[in-house]
Amino acid sequence: MLFNKMPSNDPLVIADKTFTSRLFTGTGKFNDQQTMVAALQVSQSELVTMALKRVDLQRKDDDILAPLIKQGMNLLPNTSGARNAREAIFAAQLAREALQTNWVKLEIHPDPKYLLPDPIETLKAAEALANDGFVVLPYVHADPVLCKHLEAAGCAAVMPLGAPIGSNKGLKTIDFLEIIIEQANIPVIVDAGIGSPSHAALAMEMGAAAVLVNTAMAVAGDPVAMSEAFAKAVQAGRQAYLAGLAGQVNHAVASSPLTAFLQVG
Amino acid sequence: MPGMRTNQMNIVVNEQVIAIPAGSNIEQLLERLESPLKGSAVAVNQNIVSRSTWAEYILNEGDQISLFQAIAGG
Repeated sequence: MLFNKMPSNDPLVIADKTFTSRLFTGTGKFNDQQTMVAALQVSQSELVTMALKRVDLQRKDDDILAPLIKQGMNLLPNTSGARNAREAIFAAQLAREALQTNWVKLEIHPDPKYLLPDPIETLKAAEALANDGFVVLPYVHADPVLCKHLEAAGCAAVMPLGAPIGSNKGLKTIDFLEIIIEQANIPVIVDAGIGSPSHAALAMEMGAAAVLVNTAMAVAGDPVAMSEAFAKAVQAGRQAYLAGLAGQVNHAVASSPLTAFLQVG
Repeated sequence: MPGMRTNQMNIVVNEQVIAIPAGSNIEQLLERLESPLKGSAVAVNQNIVSRSTWAEYILNEGDQISLFQAIAGG
Protein backbone atom coordinates (compact mmCIF):
# COMPACT_ATOMS: atom_id res chain seq x y z
CA MET A 1 0.00 0.00 0.00
CA LEU A 2 2.70 2.47 1.00
CA PHE A 3 5.71 3.18 -1.12
CA ASN A 4 9.09 2.63 0.46
CA LYS A 5 10.65 5.18 2.68
CA MET A 6 13.90 6.83 1.78
CA PRO A 7 16.96 4.68 2.35
CA SER A 8 17.99 4.72 5.98
CA ASN A 9 21.43 6.08 5.07
CA ASP A 10 19.91 9.54 4.63
CA PRO A 11 18.56 10.29 8.08
CA LEU A 12 17.72 13.75 9.32
CA VAL A 13 19.19 14.44 12.73
CA ILE A 14 17.86 17.28 14.85
CA ALA A 15 19.21 17.54 18.39
CA ASP A 16 18.67 14.12 19.99
CA LYS A 17 16.28 12.68 17.40
CA THR A 18 16.77 10.96 14.06
CA PHE A 19 14.06 11.11 11.42
CA THR A 20 13.56 8.90 8.39
CA SER A 21 10.76 11.06 7.01
CA ARG A 22 11.48 14.65 6.06
CA LEU A 23 7.83 15.58 6.05
CA PHE A 24 6.71 17.15 9.30
CA THR A 25 3.01 17.72 9.80
CA GLY A 26 0.57 19.80 11.75
CA THR A 27 -2.56 18.51 13.43
CA GLY A 28 -4.82 21.53 12.95
CA LYS A 29 -7.86 22.05 10.73
CA PHE A 30 -8.72 18.40 10.03
CA ASN A 31 -12.46 17.77 9.94
CA ASP A 32 -12.28 14.97 12.46
CA GLN A 33 -9.77 13.04 14.48
CA GLN A 34 -10.13 9.86 12.43
CA THR A 35 -9.18 11.66 9.22
CA MET A 36 -6.27 13.33 10.96
CA VAL A 37 -4.88 10.05 12.24
CA ALA A 38 -5.30 8.34 8.84
CA ALA A 39 -3.66 11.24 7.00
CA LEU A 40 -0.73 11.43 9.39
CA GLN A 41 -0.19 7.71 9.13
CA VAL A 42 -0.09 7.80 5.32
CA SER A 43 2.20 10.85 5.39
CA GLN A 44 4.76 8.73 7.29
CA SER A 45 5.51 11.83 9.31
CA GLU A 46 7.44 11.27 12.52
CA LEU A 47 7.06 14.74 14.01
CA VAL A 48 3.73 16.49 14.49
CA THR A 49 2.98 19.92 15.86
CA MET A 50 0.40 20.64 18.52
CA ALA A 51 -0.86 23.73 20.28
CA LEU A 52 -1.73 24.48 23.88
CA LYS A 53 -4.95 26.03 25.02
CA ARG A 54 -6.43 27.33 28.23
CA VAL A 55 -9.11 24.78 29.08
CA ASP A 56 -12.72 25.91 28.82
CA LEU A 57 -14.36 24.10 31.72
CA GLN A 58 -17.77 24.31 30.03
CA ARG A 59 -16.65 22.96 26.69
CA LYS A 60 -13.91 20.38 26.77
CA ASP A 61 -11.83 19.63 23.67
CA ASP A 62 -11.18 16.15 22.36
CA ASP A 63 -8.13 14.37 23.66
CA ILE A 64 -6.05 14.30 20.49
CA LEU A 65 -2.92 13.22 22.29
CA ALA A 66 -3.75 9.55 22.82
CA PRO A 67 -3.98 8.53 19.12
CA LEU A 68 -0.77 10.39 18.29
CA ILE A 69 1.17 8.77 21.10
CA LYS A 70 -0.26 5.40 20.07
CA GLN A 71 1.14 5.99 16.59
CA GLY A 72 4.58 6.66 18.02
CA MET A 73 4.69 10.27 16.88
CA ASN A 74 7.21 12.73 18.22
CA LEU A 75 5.35 15.77 19.46
CA LEU A 76 6.37 19.32 18.68
CA PRO A 77 4.32 21.75 20.77
CA ASN A 78 4.10 25.27 19.43
CA THR A 79 3.74 28.58 21.23
CA SER A 80 0.93 29.79 19.00
CA GLY A 81 -1.01 32.58 20.65
CA ALA A 82 2.06 34.14 22.22
CA ARG A 83 2.42 37.80 21.32
CA ASN A 84 5.85 38.42 22.81
CA ALA A 85 8.91 36.64 24.18
CA ARG A 86 7.57 36.54 27.74
CA GLU A 87 4.35 34.81 26.71
CA ALA A 88 6.20 32.43 24.40
CA ILE A 89 8.59 31.37 27.16
CA PHE A 90 5.65 30.73 29.49
CA ALA A 91 3.89 28.73 26.75
CA ALA A 92 7.02 26.67 26.09
CA GLN A 93 7.37 25.89 29.78
CA LEU A 94 3.72 24.85 29.97
CA ALA A 95 4.11 22.69 26.87
CA ARG A 96 7.15 21.02 28.37
CA GLU A 97 5.01 19.98 31.33
CA ALA A 98 1.96 19.04 29.28
CA LEU A 99 3.75 16.95 26.68
CA GLN A 100 6.87 16.03 28.63
CA THR A 101 9.16 17.19 25.84
CA ASN A 102 11.78 19.92 25.70
CA TRP A 103 11.16 20.41 21.98
CA VAL A 104 9.30 23.57 21.04
CA LYS A 105 8.23 25.24 17.84
CA LEU A 106 8.72 28.85 18.80
CA GLU A 107 6.18 31.05 17.08
CA ILE A 108 5.38 34.61 18.04
CA HIS A 109 2.96 36.36 15.74
CA PRO A 110 1.18 39.32 17.30
CA ASP A 111 -0.75 40.29 14.17
CA PRO A 112 -3.74 38.00 13.55
CA LYS A 113 -4.26 38.99 9.91
CA TYR A 114 -0.95 37.85 8.41
CA LEU A 115 0.41 35.90 11.39
CA LEU A 116 3.91 37.06 10.50
CA PRO A 117 6.53 36.17 13.10
CA ASP A 118 8.00 38.95 15.23
CA PRO A 119 11.77 38.66 14.68
CA ILE A 120 12.87 40.66 17.71
CA GLU A 121 10.72 38.84 20.24
CA THR A 122 11.51 35.50 18.57
CA LEU A 123 15.26 36.01 18.93
CA LYS A 124 14.85 37.07 22.58
CA ALA A 125 12.74 34.03 23.39
CA ALA A 126 15.02 31.68 21.43
CA GLU A 127 18.05 32.75 23.45
CA ALA A 128 16.25 32.29 26.74
CA LEU A 129 14.72 28.93 25.83
CA ALA A 130 17.95 27.50 24.38
CA ASN A 131 19.73 28.51 27.58
CA ASP A 132 17.01 26.74 29.56
CA GLY A 133 17.66 23.46 27.73
CA PHE A 134 14.91 23.59 25.13
CA VAL A 135 15.32 22.23 21.62
CA VAL A 136 14.14 25.37 19.85
CA LEU A 137 12.74 25.38 16.32
CA PRO A 138 11.76 28.97 15.58
CA TYR A 139 9.18 29.94 12.96
CA VAL A 140 10.60 32.98 11.20
CA HIS A 141 10.39 35.07 8.09
CA ALA A 142 12.82 34.01 5.38
CA ASP A 143 15.48 36.34 6.71
CA PRO A 144 19.01 34.95 6.29
CA VAL A 145 20.54 37.36 8.82
CA LEU A 146 17.97 36.51 11.48
CA CYS A 147 18.47 32.80 10.81
CA LYS A 148 22.21 33.16 11.49
CA HIS A 149 21.44 34.97 14.75
CA LEU A 150 19.07 32.17 15.74
CA GLU A 151 21.70 29.59 14.92
CA ALA A 152 24.19 31.45 17.11
CA ALA A 153 21.57 31.60 19.86
CA GLY A 154 21.56 27.81 19.97
CA CYS A 155 18.46 26.90 17.98
CA ALA A 156 18.34 23.30 16.78
CA ALA A 157 16.85 24.25 13.39
CA VAL A 158 15.20 27.23 11.73
CA MET A 159 11.75 27.23 10.17
CA PRO A 160 11.51 30.03 7.60
CA LEU A 161 8.19 30.64 5.88
CA GLY A 162 7.41 30.29 2.19
CA ALA A 163 4.27 32.43 2.47
CA PRO A 164 1.82 33.36 5.25
CA ILE A 165 0.44 30.50 7.35
CA GLY A 166 -2.45 28.71 5.67
CA SER A 167 -2.18 30.79 2.47
CA ASN A 168 -1.12 27.84 0.27
CA LYS A 169 0.78 30.27 -1.94
CA GLY A 170 4.01 28.31 -2.13
CA LEU A 171 7.60 29.49 -1.92
CA LYS A 172 7.15 33.23 -2.39
CA THR A 173 10.40 33.76 -0.48
CA ILE A 174 12.40 31.38 -2.65
CA ASP A 175 15.48 33.55 -3.24
CA PHE A 176 15.91 34.12 0.49
CA LEU A 177 15.24 30.49 1.36
CA GLU A 178 18.13 29.61 -0.96
CA ILE A 179 20.45 31.97 0.91
CA ILE A 180 19.31 30.60 4.27
CA ILE A 181 19.95 27.03 3.14
CA GLU A 182 23.34 27.97 1.72
CA GLN A 183 24.46 29.63 4.96
CA ALA A 184 22.94 27.41 7.61
CA ASN A 185 24.84 24.92 9.70
CA ILE A 186 21.60 23.70 11.26
CA PRO A 187 18.64 22.05 9.47
CA VAL A 188 16.36 24.41 7.54
CA ILE A 189 12.71 23.35 7.64
CA VAL A 190 10.50 25.26 5.24
CA ASP A 191 7.29 26.02 7.07
CA ALA A 192 4.08 27.83 6.16
CA GLY A 193 2.67 28.54 2.73
CA ILE A 194 3.38 25.13 1.22
CA GLY A 195 0.10 24.53 -0.58
CA SER A 196 0.79 21.66 -2.93
CA PRO A 197 3.14 18.70 -3.29
CA SER A 198 5.08 20.54 -6.02
CA HIS A 199 5.88 23.33 -3.54
CA ALA A 200 7.17 20.73 -1.10
CA ALA A 201 9.22 19.01 -3.78
CA LEU A 202 10.76 22.32 -4.82
CA ALA A 203 11.79 23.12 -1.25
CA MET A 204 13.43 19.72 -0.94
CA GLU A 205 15.19 20.04 -4.33
CA MET A 206 16.67 23.30 -3.07
CA GLY A 207 18.21 21.46 -0.14
CA ALA A 208 15.76 22.10 2.65
CA ALA A 209 16.24 19.49 5.38
CA ALA A 210 12.49 19.03 5.76
CA VAL A 211 9.16 20.75 5.22
CA LEU A 212 6.23 21.26 7.55
CA VAL A 213 2.78 20.92 6.03
CA ASN A 214 -0.61 21.26 7.68
CA THR A 215 -3.36 23.24 5.95
CA ALA A 216 -2.69 21.87 2.47
CA MET A 217 -3.33 18.36 3.76
CA ALA A 218 -6.04 19.04 6.30
CA VAL A 219 -8.39 21.00 4.04
CA ALA A 220 -7.73 19.05 0.82
CA GLY A 221 -10.66 17.33 -0.85
CA ASP A 222 -9.21 14.00 0.26
CA PRO A 223 -6.77 14.68 3.09
CA VAL A 224 -5.50 11.10 3.24
CA ALA A 225 -4.71 10.90 -0.50
CA MET A 226 -3.15 14.36 -0.37
CA SER A 227 -0.93 13.34 2.53
CA GLU A 228 0.40 10.45 0.49
CA ALA A 229 1.04 12.79 -2.43
CA PHE A 230 3.02 15.07 -0.12
CA ALA A 231 5.05 12.15 1.18
CA LYS A 232 5.97 11.15 -2.38
CA ALA A 233 6.81 14.74 -3.34
CA VAL A 234 9.09 15.20 -0.34
CA GLN A 235 10.84 11.94 -1.10
CA ALA A 236 11.22 12.81 -4.80
CA GLY A 237 12.52 16.28 -4.00
CA ARG A 238 15.05 14.93 -1.54
CA GLN A 239 16.17 12.28 -4.01
CA ALA A 240 16.61 14.92 -6.72
CA TYR A 241 18.66 17.09 -4.37
CA LEU A 242 20.93 14.19 -3.49
CA ALA A 243 21.22 13.19 -7.16
CA GLY A 244 22.47 16.66 -8.06
CA LEU A 245 20.25 18.74 -10.32
CA ALA A 246 21.46 19.49 -13.83
CA GLY A 247 22.41 23.14 -14.28
CA GLN A 248 20.39 25.67 -16.27
CA VAL A 249 21.64 27.45 -19.40
CA ASN A 250 19.94 29.98 -21.69
CA HIS A 251 20.70 28.35 -25.03
CA ALA A 252 19.66 24.90 -26.27
CA VAL A 253 21.90 21.93 -25.68
CA ALA A 254 20.96 19.06 -27.97
CA SER A 255 19.80 15.85 -26.39
CA SER A 256 20.21 13.95 -29.68
CA PRO A 257 23.36 13.87 -31.80
CA LEU A 258 23.02 16.46 -34.58
CA THR A 259 23.97 14.40 -37.59
CA ALA A 260 23.61 16.00 -40.98
CA PHE A 261 22.08 13.00 -42.76
CA LEU A 262 18.80 14.76 -43.73
CA GLN A 263 20.73 17.34 -45.70
CA VAL A 264 22.94 14.85 -47.47
CA GLY A 265 22.10 14.00 -51.04
CA MET B 1 -24.12 26.24 55.95
CA PRO B 2 -21.36 26.88 58.45
CA GLY B 3 -20.44 23.20 58.58
CA MET B 4 -19.58 23.20 54.86
CA ARG B 5 -17.22 26.13 55.19
CA THR B 6 -14.63 24.36 57.21
CA ASN B 7 -14.43 21.47 54.76
CA GLN B 8 -14.67 23.34 51.47
CA MET B 9 -12.53 26.03 49.95
CA ASN B 10 -12.95 28.27 46.94
CA ILE B 11 -10.34 28.39 44.21
CA VAL B 12 -10.37 29.97 40.78
CA VAL B 13 -9.75 27.77 37.77
CA ASN B 14 -9.39 29.63 34.48
CA GLU B 15 -11.38 32.57 35.85
CA GLN B 16 -14.15 30.38 37.25
CA VAL B 17 -14.71 30.05 40.98
CA ILE B 18 -15.19 26.48 42.15
CA ALA B 19 -15.47 24.87 45.55
CA ILE B 20 -13.36 21.84 46.34
CA PRO B 21 -12.60 19.96 49.55
CA ALA B 22 -10.07 21.79 51.69
CA GLY B 23 -6.62 20.24 51.46
CA SER B 24 -7.08 18.98 47.88
CA ASN B 25 -3.99 18.58 45.76
CA ILE B 26 -3.62 19.33 42.05
CA GLU B 27 -4.08 15.74 40.98
CA GLN B 28 -7.37 15.55 42.89
CA LEU B 29 -8.50 18.79 41.31
CA LEU B 30 -7.89 17.47 37.79
CA GLU B 31 -9.74 14.25 38.62
CA ARG B 32 -12.65 16.29 39.90
CA LEU B 33 -12.65 18.38 36.71
CA GLU B 34 -12.41 15.16 34.65
CA SER B 35 -9.38 16.62 32.94
CA PRO B 36 -6.81 14.18 31.55
CA LEU B 37 -3.49 14.23 33.41
CA LYS B 38 -1.61 13.56 30.19
CA GLY B 39 -1.43 16.56 27.94
CA SER B 40 -2.30 18.99 30.71
CA ALA B 41 -0.25 21.72 32.32
CA VAL B 42 -1.05 23.64 35.48
CA ALA B 43 0.08 26.99 36.86
CA VAL B 44 -0.85 28.10 40.37
CA ASN B 45 -0.75 31.86 40.90
CA GLN B 46 1.21 32.17 37.65
CA ASN B 47 3.85 29.63 38.66
CA ILE B 48 4.01 26.45 36.60
CA VAL B 49 3.84 23.34 38.75
CA SER B 50 5.78 20.32 37.53
CA ARG B 51 3.57 17.30 36.93
CA SER B 52 5.78 15.14 39.15
CA THR B 53 4.69 17.17 42.17
CA TRP B 54 0.94 17.43 41.45
CA ALA B 55 0.04 14.73 43.96
CA GLU B 56 1.86 16.55 46.78
CA TYR B 57 0.95 20.10 45.87
CA ILE B 58 -1.80 21.13 48.31
CA LEU B 59 -4.02 23.96 47.08
CA ASN B 60 -5.03 26.87 49.27
CA GLU B 61 -8.17 28.98 49.52
CA GLY B 62 -8.17 31.66 46.82
CA ASP B 63 -5.49 30.07 44.63
CA GLN B 64 -5.65 31.14 41.00
CA ILE B 65 -5.19 28.08 38.84
CA SER B 66 -4.51 28.15 35.12
CA LEU B 67 -5.24 24.87 33.39
CA PHE B 68 -3.96 24.19 29.89
CA GLN B 69 -4.42 21.29 27.52
CA ALA B 70 -2.73 20.14 24.31
CA ILE B 71 -4.97 20.60 21.28
CA ALA B 72 -4.64 20.30 17.51
CA GLY B 73 -2.49 22.94 15.86
CA GLY B 74 -0.03 23.65 13.10
